[in-house]
Amino acid sequence: MNIKGNWFLLGCLLAGLAVSGLGQVKVDSQTISGLGIRNIGSAAMSGRIAALDARRDGDRLTIYVGAASGGVWKSINGGNTYKPVFDKQDVQSIGAVTIDPKNPKTVWVGTGESWTRNSVSVGDGIYKTTDGGDNWTNMGLKDSERIAKILVDPKNPDTVYACATGKLWSDSTERGVYKTTNGGRSWVKVLAGSNQSTGCGMMAMDQNDPRVLYAAMWDFRRQGWTFRSGGADENAPSGSGLFRSNDGGATWKEIDENSGKGLPPKPWGRTAVAVAPSNPKVIYITVEAAMPRNGLYRSDDEGKTWTALDRSQMMIWRPFYFSNLIVDPHDENKLFKAGGSLIYSSDGGRSFSNVAGSAHGDFHDVWIDPTNSNNVITGDDGGLWFSYDGAAKWWKADNLPVSQFYHVTVDMNRPYNVYGGLQDNSSWVGPSSFPGGITNHQWENLYGGDGFWTWADPTDPDYVYAESQGGYIGRINRKTHEARGIQPLPGYKEGKLRFNWNTPIHVTKAGTVYIGSQFLFRTRDHGQTWDRISPDLTTNDPSKQKQEESGGIIVDNSSAEEHTTIFSICESPLDPNTVWVGTDDGNVQVTRDGGKSWTNVVANIPGLPKNAWVTSVDAGHFSAGTAYATFDLHTFGDLRPYAYKTTDFGKTWTAVISPASNVRGYAHVIKEDLVNKDLLFAGTEFGLWVSLDGGNVWSQYKGGEFPDGVAVRDLAIHPRDKDLVIATHGRGIWIIDDISPLRALTPDTLQKDIAFLQADPVVQKIQAGGGWNDGDSMFVGENAPDDAVITYYQKKRHIFGDLKIDILDAKGSVVGSVPASKRKGLNRVHWAMRLPAPTVPPAASIAGGATTGPRVMPGTYTVRMTKDKQVYTTPLKVTLDPRVKFNLADRQANFDLSMKLYNLLGQMSADVERINSVRLALDDRAAKTSDTNFRSRLKAASAQVDELRRKIVATKEGGAITGEERLREFLATLYGDVISYEGRPSLIQMQRADSIAKELADVRKAFDAWTATELPKLNSDLTQYKMQPITVSEVVPASNGGGVNASGIEFPISMGRW
Amino acid sequence: MFSLKELGMRRSLMAAVILGLAASLSQAQTVDELIGKYVKTIGGMDKLQAIKSVRYTGKFEGGGGFTANVLQENKRPNMVREEFSLQGMAQVLAYDGKVGWIINPFQGKKDAETLGEEGMKQIVEDADFDGPLVDYAKKGNKVEYLGKEDYEGSDTYKLKVTLADGTVKYYFLDTDYYVPIKIETKQTIRGTDFESETILGDYKEAGGVYFPYSIASGPKGSSNRQVITYDKIEINPAMDDAHFNMPKPPMKAN
Repeated sequence: MNIKGNWFLLGCLLAGLAVSGLGQVKVDSQTISGLGIRNIGSAAMSGRIAALDARRDGDRLTIYVGAASGGVWKSINGGNTYKPVFDKQDVQSIGAVTIDPKNPKTVWVGTGESWTRNSVSVGDGIYKTTDGGDNWTNMGLKDSERIAKILVDPKNPDTVYACATGKLWSDSTERGVYKTTNGGRSWVKVLAGSNQSTGCGMMAMDQNDPRVLYAAMWDFRRQGWTFRSGGADENAPSGSGLFRSNDGGATWKEIDENSGKGLPPKPWGRTAVAVAPSNPKVIYITVEAAMPRNGLYRSDDEGKTWTALDRSQMMIWRPFYFSNLIVDPHDENKLFKAGGSLIYSSDGGRSFSNVAGSAHGDFHDVWIDPTNSNNVITGDDGGLWFSYDGAAKWWKADNLPVSQFYHVTVDMNRPYNVYGGLQDNSSWVGPSSFPGGITNHQWENLYGGDGFWTWADPTDPDYVYAESQGGYIGRINRKTHEARGIQPLPGYKEGKLRFNWNTPIHVTKAGTVYIGSQFLFRTRDHGQTWDRISPDLTTNDPSKQKQEESGGIIVDNSSAEEHTTIFSICESPLDPNTVWVGTDDGNVQVTRDGGKSWTNVVANIPGLPKNAWVTSVDAGHFSAGTAYATFDLHTFGDLRPYAYKTTDFGKTWTAVISPASNVRGYAHVIKEDLVNKDLLFAGTEFGLWVSLDGGNVWSQYKGGEFPDGVAVRDLAIHPRDKDLVIATHGRGIWIIDDISPLRALTPDTLQKDIAFLQADPVVQKIQAGGGWNDGDSMFVGENAPDDAVITYYQKKRHIFGDLKIDILDAKGSVVGSVPASKRKGLNRVHWAMRLPAPTVPPAASIAGGATTGPRVMPGTYTVRMTKDKQVYTTPLKVTLDPRVKFNLADRQANFDLSMKLYNLLGQMSADVERINSVRLALDDRAAKTSDTNFRSRLKAASAQVDELRRKIVATKEGGAITGEERLREFLATLYGDVISYEGRPSLIQMQRADSIAKELADVRKAFDAWTATELPKLNSDLTQYKMQPITVSEVVPASNGGGVNASGIEFPISMGRW
Repeated sequence: MFSLKELGMRRSLMAAVILGLAASLSQAQTVDELIGKYVKTIGGMDKLQAIKSVRYTGKFEGGGGFTANVLQENKRPNMVREEFSLQGMAQVLAYDGKVGWIINPFQGKKDAETLGEEGMKQIVEDADFDGPLVDYAKKGNKVEYLGKEDYEGSDTYKLKVTLADGTVKYYFLDTDYYVPIKIETKQTIRGTDFESETILGDYKEAGGVYFPYSIASGPKGSSNRQVITYDKIEINPAMDDAHFNMPKPPMKAN
């Protein structure tokens, strides 16, 4: 069948559907994902690295980095640049990364981090790539939730062991040590824990005899209010312990105080285990046991006898977070221990030095170069670090944007700033755009500790509210960085207020600040006075207030388990007396009288399990009685999403996201659009979701380079710029610029084959340059486009025939055209708002100043799209940047001079064309004639004409910096200067334009005089010699290309082939 | 014919061989079938073979309003010449089947130079008259069918094409029409992989064969794309072989 035939049939089919009213268009990911997205990072703070592996092949070093919640990153150049290779998978939390020692293209990744802090994400099994990360296959253990280590048999790489830690928040059976002997096609559990909360916490192998394995089993459980490393109580003793197999996992023997002389008595918590590669008889373990028997132990006889060694603070601190030992590949007496600081022993574990230096802290993994132990790579809560001097000094990877934001807010600057706090990485502000790109330098650290809510003070742009864990709110001067602690404090005999780890702060447009402990506080004077405007709004359940007992074998009470607290606050934008509050223990409270009285409305929510964590509340923008809330039950082992809506102040609720929906991942946030009440955005642990119909149908946003399974913790909609700002916990801040197409994407539009979506006026942003050559190792966040963005919808991908987009001015003349995008769903194309570059006469080299057309004047334009023979149009309004210091008349004066120079360049091109037509014809005739005298005359004439040309254009060729400037070069430079600043041109620029025009006219006159006197004589002689007479070409050359940045011209090395 | 029973002890071995054969046959069949359908859709092998030379004329758009005029000429068996022109000056890239060369005139140097490793790799690809899918085996290219994959909401057949020089390309053929709508390319240059992608569209007929008139390319995954849009594709224009040979320096001045 030929294509035309197919087309015809398809057309009939679509027409039939339209007529019969059938064919309801399904809204899905592809409908909405054509809206572009950009990542602004930052990598300044980077984020937690859970695991890493590297391999040196010849001179090249390849590194795979497992981010705690930001996927897997691969560097093929020793850490200069990184590429995320795991973004199309369903999860982004990484627990283990292991390169197959025999086949370096084969890499195993265990998903689900096993450093089980309160904010840890979840995984969905073990993955394998055989092509260096291009393609991944989930090889099973999907219910394991987290994997701490993967060991590949170096002699038989189809044999692989997985140390499955298992579920953190609930019992499960898929945990322990698993083995495959067929490259992952099937797995056998070779070591199970003694109960359903015990999994594998760490594992090690004797590389010389890979049948010898050590597994550190770990009994652990986290709940919203407590954590235990070790058993639940006397009746449920800890399943933690060390096990050894010498037959590839077929049988295991426990090594405890009875079988391993010198070990501390049970119960144990988490244990790290490592075998010295250079002497596999040497085993190191850390044991979380009752003090003072906790600490580092070493065996020199494969575990039969043990010596207690170092038990410095970094050795025993927070075993759940730091149980990892890394022994030098060549020296059994040298080893690193991960910890709050990285510590290092060179005396076999007797003593350790702190080698954390200027790295961030909270270390999780270390790789030592087997070819040179001075080369060390480590990952901590602040990213990835390199040392070339044995961990004395550290070099930070500045190109890993795996930052873990908890929240995001925006201000009203132009361009607006983005504010947010991060896991263990303070509170920051960065611009949404910056000339030259948003580098790490543009982000500014404001406070300290772990960061969460960060808000600009809307009443004073010099101030920001930020906090560290446990509600330590401060008001910070952005210029001086002076910080004032303003946390509400307890009253007489109140002991302490219960502030969540991630304490909610809510700042309204009017500058009112709310903060919640178990009580809600409000200030209208920047924290000078706080009003306590509620009673205890939580369940105040004393059984969830025993944080001093939290931690298990070793106490760990960092405020991360603080519970029965307020977690979310939102004042109604329509009524400041209506305030919604959600608590971490399952209450939804509302006041309609500014806090005098409160109603707990959670019992009205149908189908919601009790005590769900209220992760967000969002008061409606169209009706004061409307609110949305998200509920999270993952701390009870339920990873499904819940979100509800009320329209009557909480009396009744309907589910907008139910566990049965297609939305994946526990819900963190829901936001109602500011303009279209049916447009909703939701963030879950596994992505960003959009509903165009008030929550009936949800589609996952998968546009651009946004990772499919990243945790979206918070969202902000910019009220002026209409951007959706997305806080991911693991991949930094992302922005979808101008979501108005989503507001306009009605069911009616969706039925159309192709349709424009009404755009807001386009601001002609100030032209500005910036940035510098930072090399490849610096992250640069993408700016908002300077162009006019045109958005349209297509029901189906465009493959055959023309799809053209032209821009017309008010008179209907085409002033520009842009290549069309072809995809199904929403499409975006960019118009630079520039006229074609001026026509410039050819010369020795490019006239850099004149490779760009002037920007069109603000005004109303028409976008015309032609698809085959169908024509569609939409208006496009272009406005001045409100930041400019000039007015429209100034802009017009600039445009007029720009066009005068533009046209003068065109005139100059015509002049040179006329001269060249004669000059080249003279050369042609000179070459043809056999009369030497006549040839000399022709050559002399050509030289006379060329002398005129040389007054207009530079002609010295050869590639050297000739510095030669003639009228063309002067004019192009002047033109370039005038168009790059769009305010009123200076008087001297206008005078210069006139003088260049006059000088050009002088040359033209001279040429005209020459053609009037000399050319007829020459033509008469030519006729005598039976040669073609010469005429002056009056062809006006067409625009010959150009555009911005053409001074640094870099064309593609070719056009490509299909 | 023989039954499995007759094979006795060798049964499982033979079965494995047969299965393996079936798998590879079906793989090859799928590849050949898909490429066959692609060729048929764009006009058929006869019409393709009837084309001896092609001249493409159009516009290059590099973003931010930057444009240039482009001209590409291909001649069988494997000659190509490409021009990007700006302010009356043309960057020329060409390959005559043996020598790849470039003139980059914009800073005043107008001599031809031989192409470096990257440029050479690319120009040789561009000189492949019918593209790497057509007669892939004869050219030493390997093609594997990797299954169906969604690309921006369109179903595609994904083919992995390994060129004779090691460059890997993934072709995404639209499942309705079998024409490529996207190509991903991974080139290894000095030991480092460079990944790019090309989006094809606006297929139109010229000389009885459908060509993509819109070719957008850029780094893989990036939204920054350079777009070439052809205004005109001429079939079998006269072209002298010398047109593709590297000129002897120095080039003639303006």
